[in-house]
Order: sequence, then C-alpha cells, then structure tokens
Amino acid sequence: MSRTMSRYPGFLSRRQFLGAATASAIGLGSSRFAQALASSAQPYFEAIAAERSGIAWSHTAGLSPQMYLPETVGAGCAFLDYDNDGWMDIYLVNSGPCDFYQPAVPLRNALYRNNRDGTFTDVTAKAGVPGNAYGMGVAVADYDRDGLPDLFVSQYPNSILYHNNGDGTFTDVTAKAGVGAPGWGTSAVWFDYDNDGLLDLFVCRFADFDKEKNVWCGGHGPGERYYCKPNVYQPMPSWLFHNKGNGTFTDVSRESGIAASLAKAWGVVAADLNNDGWMDLFVGSDTAPNPLFINQGKGRFVDNGLLAGVAYNPFGVARSGMGVDAADYDEDGWIDLFVANVDHEMYSLYHNNHNGGFDDVSLRTPIANITRLMSGWGLKFFDYNNDGDLDLVIANGHPDLEIQAHHPELRYLQPMLLFAQNQGKWTDVSAQAGPAFAQPIAGRGLALGDFDNDGAVDVLVSTNNGAPLLLKNRAAHENHWLGLRLVGAKSNIDAIGAKVTWQSGDLTRHRSKVGGGSYLSSHDPRMVLGLGPRKQIDWVEVEWPQPGGGKERFTGLPVDRYITLIEGSPGWK
Amino acid sequence: MIGSRSGKWLFPIVCVALANGFSGPAPAQTVRARTSPARTSPAESVASVQHGVQLVETGRCKEALPLLERGLPLVTEKTLRYQAEIAIVRCAMALDQEQTAADTLFLLERESPGNPEALYVETHLFSEMGMRAAQELQAKAPGSYQARRLQAEGLESQGKNDEAAAIYREILKENPKIPGIHYRLGQIDLALAGDSGTMDAAKQEFEEEVAVDPTNASAEFILGELARRKGDWDEAIRHFSRAAELDAGFSEAYLALGMSLTASGKYAAAKPPLEHYVKLEPDDPAGHYQLALAYSHTGDQAGAQREMALQAQAAARNKSTDTTQGHAVQQ
Repeated sequence: MSRTMSRYPGFLSRRQFLGAATASAIGLGSSRFAQALASSAQPYFEAIAAERSGIAWSHTAGLSPQMYLPETVGAGCAFLDYDNDGWMDIYLVNSGPCDFYQPAVPLRNALYRNNRDGTFTDVTAKAGVPGNAYGMGVAVADYDRDGLPDLFVSQYPNSILYHNNGDGTFTDVTAKAGVGAPGWGTSAVWFDYDNDGLLDLFVCRFADFDKEKNVWCGGHGPGERYYCKPNVYQPMPSWLFHNKGNGTFTDVSRESGIAASLAKAWGVVAADLNNDGWMDLFVGSDTAPNPLFINQGKGRFVDNGLLAGVAYNPFGVARSGMGVDAADYDEDGWIDLFVANVDHEMYSLYHNNHNGGFDDVSLRTPIANITRLMSGWGLKFFDYNNDGDLDLVIANGHPDLEIQAHHPELRYLQPMLLFAQNQGKWTDVSAQAGPAFAQPIAGRGLALGDFDNDGAVDVLVSTNNGAPLLLKNRAAHENHWLGLRLVGAKSNIDAIGAKVTWQSGDLTRHRSKVGGGSYLSSHDPRMVLGLGPRKQIDWVEVEWPQPGGGKERFTGLPVDRYITLIEGSPGWK
Repeated sequence: MIGSRSGKWLFPIVCVALANGFSGPAPAQTVRARTSPARTSPAESVASVQHGVQLVETGRCKEALPLLERGLPLVTEKTLRYQAEIAIVRCAMALDQEQTAADTLFLLERESPGNPEALYVETHLFSEMGMRAAQELQAKAPGSYQARRLQAEGLESQGKNDEAAAIYREILKENPKIPGIHYRLGQIDLALAGDSGTMDAAKQEFEEEVAVDPTNASAEFILGELARRKGDWDEAIRHFSRAAELDAGFSEAYLALGMSLTASGKYAAAKPPLEHYVKLEPDDPAGHYQLALAYSHTGDQAGAQREMALQAQAAARNKSTDTTQGHAVQQ
C-alpha cells in the first residue's frame, strides 16, 4: 500500500476513502428538528411521555470509573401479552448486582400491564420478574405450549427463565430448565431448530468477561480512559438449548456445531434463509466475523458466514456487528439480512442472492452514507405505514460516552433512523418521523408492537442509563390492514417460521415470521398485513412451519382488526 | 543548523515534498564519495577525521570539510564513520555544497539504515533543498505555472484550500491542458466535501483530469471508487480496469476491480484481477477474502477454503478491524 501511496501523490487510500463520508450523520438531529418544526404534516411517530403512559421506570447503567463494558451496552425491552388479554404489555430490563456492580439502591426490571387506554401499570412486584443480576435482554415465547408467553431474561453472569403461571405471576424455573447460560448473555431467540414443534432457545454470548478481566483502555490521566472497543476481549461460543418438551432443556451447543464458531455476539435473528424448511440463524458479532448458522437438519448447523459474504466487510475484515434483522424486503421470495455496525463501518443491508450468498447493497441505498458515523443497535424491518412494503427503523448511539472527546466528528447520543422502502428503493424519512427521530439518544433495545391495537405498529426503544421511549405510530391510519395472531398446532405454537401471503386487489405480498431480530429485545408476536388504500383482503395463505408444514388459505376475512388463525382449524377467530 | 535560517519555509516545503511523494535522487547503492582516496595512512585518516569532527562542533565547517572528505574513505570504525558522515552533511549544506551533502547522506543511509538521527538530518536536507529550489523557481520564473502550482500546493498543505483552488483555476484559465491541476482541484473538492458534502464537484474535476491526461491512473482509480461507493458497478469496473491497465503495479486497482466484479455478481471475471492482487499484496486479507468469494461462487470450493485460510492468517497478523476511528483507538 505504501508503494502505491508514494506513486500517486494525493491518492486517497481505500480506508481514507471509506472514512470520507458523503453524508452527515451528526448534523442530522438538528436539521431534522428544523424540518419537523417546519412541517405542517403530522409526524409519523409521537413520543408518549411518561406522564401519559405511566411508564416511570428508567434504566440504570451503573456507569463507573472502571468502565466495565456491560455498563454501556444495555439493555433490552419487549412487547408481550403476558395476561393474554389481547393488549400488548411491556417489559424493560435493568442492570443489577454482579461482581463488578453493587447498586446503591436495589434495581429491578419492570413489567407494565397495558390498561387498554394508552396507559400502563407497573405489575413487576406481583408478577415476580425483577431479574437478579446485571440484565441485558429479553426473549419472549411460549416454550411449554401452555398458551402463555414466558420470559427469558439474559443477564451477566447468569440468565433467567421465568415461566408464566397464567395468574399474573411468573416462576423462576432457570435451574430446572437448565438454561442459566453462565457467562455474559446478550440477545436471545426462541425458534424450533429441529422442527419438532417445540421452541428451542439460542442465547448470544458476548466476550470472555468478568471483573478481573476488565481491560483498561485509554490513557491514565483525567478523562483519558474510555470504554474499550471489544477487540481487547476474547470471543466465546453462544449457547443453543434444545427443548425436551418436559420443561427442561439440553445444552446442545457443542453437538449442534454452534459452539464451533467463536463470536462476540450482540444480536440474533432466526429465519429460513435458504427456503429449505429449516430455521437458520444470523448473528451480529463485534470485531469478530458474523456467524451465519445454516441449519443442516438433524440438529446440525454449519457457519457459512464467510462464504456467504456476511461475516466480514468487503475487505475481509470483521466489523462491529450489533443489532440484526431478517426479512424479504424486496418480495423476491428470499429473506434478506441487516446488521448495524459502529461508526465508520456503515450498516449492511445484505440482499439474498438465492444461492447461499448475500451482497451488501447498502451502498446502493442511502443507508450506507447516512450511517457512516453512526452506531446502531435495536432495529427492525416493518411496514410503518401499512402500504404493504417493508420499511426499517433503527435505534442508534455510540457505545463510548467519551467518544466526542476523542473523535469530535462523533457523538455519544445519536438520533433514530427511519427508512421507507418501495420496490427495493430506500428513502430516509427520518425527518418526517417527528421530533422523536430528531432527538439524540443512547438508543439500545428496540421492540415493535401495536400497544393500542389500532393496526399501526408502534415502537419501544430502550436507552442506556435513561428512560425508555414509547413511540406511537400515527403514519398508518390512512391505510387498511389486517392483524394476524398465528397459533401453531403441530408446528411451534408461536408459529415462528410461518410464511404468510396475502392478496388485496392488485396487491400481493408475503411475509415470514422470523424469530427475534433487533437487539436484546422481543416483539409483538402478531403480524400486521398492510393493504394500503384497499378496503378488503381477498385471501390470506399461511404456510405453517414444520413439522406441520401445511398451506392453508383463508378467505372472507375482515380488515382493520386483529384475528386469530389456528393451524388446521378452518375459519378465523 | 540546517533549516534554522529558513524556518518559515521549512514546514510547507516538507509537507509539499511529502505530499508529492518526493523520493530524492538515486538510490544509495549508486552513490560513491566524490573525493579520491587520500594518500594517507589509516591512522592519519582517523586522526584527521577526529579533528574534523571537533572543528564542526565549534562551527568551523570550512576547515573541517576537506579533512573529513579526505579522511573518511580510510576510516573503518563504525561510530567515527557515522559521526564524520553526519558532520559532512551538515557542513556541506552550510557551505552550499549540495551534491556533497546528498552523496554523503545516501552513504549514511546505507551504512546506518533506520538511524533516527540520519533520517532526521535527511528530512532537513531535503527540506532545505526543496526550499532552495522553490526560491530559485520563484526568482527565475515567478510567473510560470510551475511556480504558482508550487505556491498552491504549499497553501493546500496549510489547509488553505480556497486560496489554493483559486491559483489552480488561474493556471487552468491560461492553459487548460496542464496535467495534474484538475486532479489537485478534485482532491480539494474531496477535502471540502468532507463528511457532509456531495462528491459531484470532485468527480467532475477527476473526469476533466482524465480528459487532459488519459494516463492518470490515480484519477481513474478515484473515479472508480466514487462509482463503487454509489454501487454503480459498471462504471466502477470501467474505471478500475483502466487504472489497472495504465499501471500494472497499481495493486489497489486490481483489488477494487475484483471487489466491484464480485459485488456485481461477475465472479468468474473477478478471479484474474484478484489472483493478481494476492500476488502483489499477499498480506492483505481483503484480496484473499474476495478471491474466496469468487472461487466459491464459481464452484471451486477447495480454492475458496484455501483463500479463507489465508484470509484468516492475514487478518490475524493485522489484528485490526476496518474501524480506523470507531470506538477510539486502543492503547
């Protein structure tokens, strides 16, 4: 390289080129404020203040002079209907006691029951789901098929499984279930990897870390220390727990091939990426290759991330993968991937090539340049305006509180992003999304859910060392929709992996129900099918995941409401 | 000593010299001392050189330089040779004997490779030589485009891009066909665009540069890179191909060409430039990674695995991520 540099005066090396941004991420917040104020149109999202929602809880990171890395990366959030009343409740994860942190006052996670009027009531104490260590994330699913969503809370140094008792309370069944996952657990996902109709559990593990292994990064003078980039820590294998169907699980990380790939795993999404009927896993890994676990059947996975083109950047170097998601955004029948990275790396939109490989097409969209100086965590594909096309929302924030002191072009607090998509063309619509998208935050977790059942999918964002943001969607009200709650009978009860196709006049769309996605967070299990201005839906076809695997077509369906479709049962409820 | 009388010129000239890849005269191997071997014994030579070094320390260069030049060829003791060579360089520059200074400097570089003091002296020497050449250019041809270009480059190195650009544009107004000027303007546009601006102006300048100088491989490369960043693969491939054609040793052009071909799904076509690149730059994980992708997509799984292994080895050696600034640099 040096030879080339000297031969070509003034030549910019490729890395210099990559560092020369073409869009300003930093100035985005203030310009969006101006645009939001100048616009007479109603913003797409409205932040619901704590005084209105009743969500007074706030995350405490326990930031310390020792700058333990977990302090700056948490925590997650979830939409779930824990009491099965048809209204989305909210769960928020907090820090807690561990070897490097003893809170001055007791900290706890929070479960908020939806009062069905836009407000929430804190029911954590009654429910018994406070967490018991340094909390990271949450994954919700009905692992025991009793019709009630259960809670897996990832933590450092041990995670918890809360079983839903059906009476508004939960029981910590971690020991019995055998899913304690000793280590630093981060994102987790429920999915049925062996197609036996039971939901198994994958838990991301971040680096080999404890108090004694904490590394000092930066200088030793005042203000010179900073939170380490994770390349100073060693990667670790993640966990895969097989659901035995009796309330217990077996750690199959090793025999499944999962443990063969070491990573510093932050985010995970489960989806059938090669359309072979087996759920695969894509993992966002920080300063280590992103694993792409392709399910071989028979309980085995092979990490094909390298040859699939998703493990590294185009220069063969690992980026800082964090939040991830999967969806077929361009309706070609193959699920695509997204991973957020840190500043100067750009986020990656991986288009599925239908042959096991993926191309990072973010450079062909505004996404690459807009995210050049940003660091992304929670994110999710969703149709924010119910026009039938998948869009994308991303929560951002730099992991190092002092980053601006070291790099004036960067900010610790960063605004959220909203990208609209139409026929594969992406547009940044953050400025139209409202003041909430102009506000710089330390965004971390992000969950989707329709908390007011109006068919417009809302957004919940957790922030590091701050209050969560509840963003009410006001963008979808001019369009029609149908909400689906899918219930598997032979297949897993949450129908994770189901493929739904719908027809409404000239609009045909399909969508897969992926497991997980985002960062440390869990989502409303229902699907909302956008119809645009069309006032009726001709039919909905559901291809249930294995072992059911059947296709069922439903007709005579209503619109602008939620219905339940049960595998093998004609009609809808 | 050297440069003390030219402080205000030194740094701009150093910057310009470095920015332009100023590499100095012929390699050290071809340099020989200008003076004939002295007809003195080795012992006398040593004494003469020691005396010369002492004279230099007291600033008596005129007396010292002949002693040093005569005695040096017969001195074998390493430390004394080093001291003598440094002394000769300094005195020669002070006495405007630039050829002696340069010849001795290359001798010094060959005999004390990587020596910090030698490199420091070398930096000053070339700064001084650059400064003198610049003064001479200014004195003898003040209105020439070369003099104005040098002035603009100095301004650029000080971050005065607007002033530099104005001079470049004046030069072009008088003679639009001068090679390299649009290139400089393109570089300024890139710098001005920074993190928030459009690259359109820069692109136009590089296109004009290529029109003026179709052999400018660097301009072709940057045009390719601008296209690659937009995902305009066909245009990127065209420019990178041209850059590689213009200079077979331009390794990054081959990598960028291969990357653009793989990104556009032309895996078979990507193999030759990437195979060439990994020969030129075997320690860069990027080439092995891209070649593995190309092999994998054309059915050569063994080749893909081999390149992946090489990629892993290279990445482990580099121990880096692409985040040159992200999370801040670790200590």
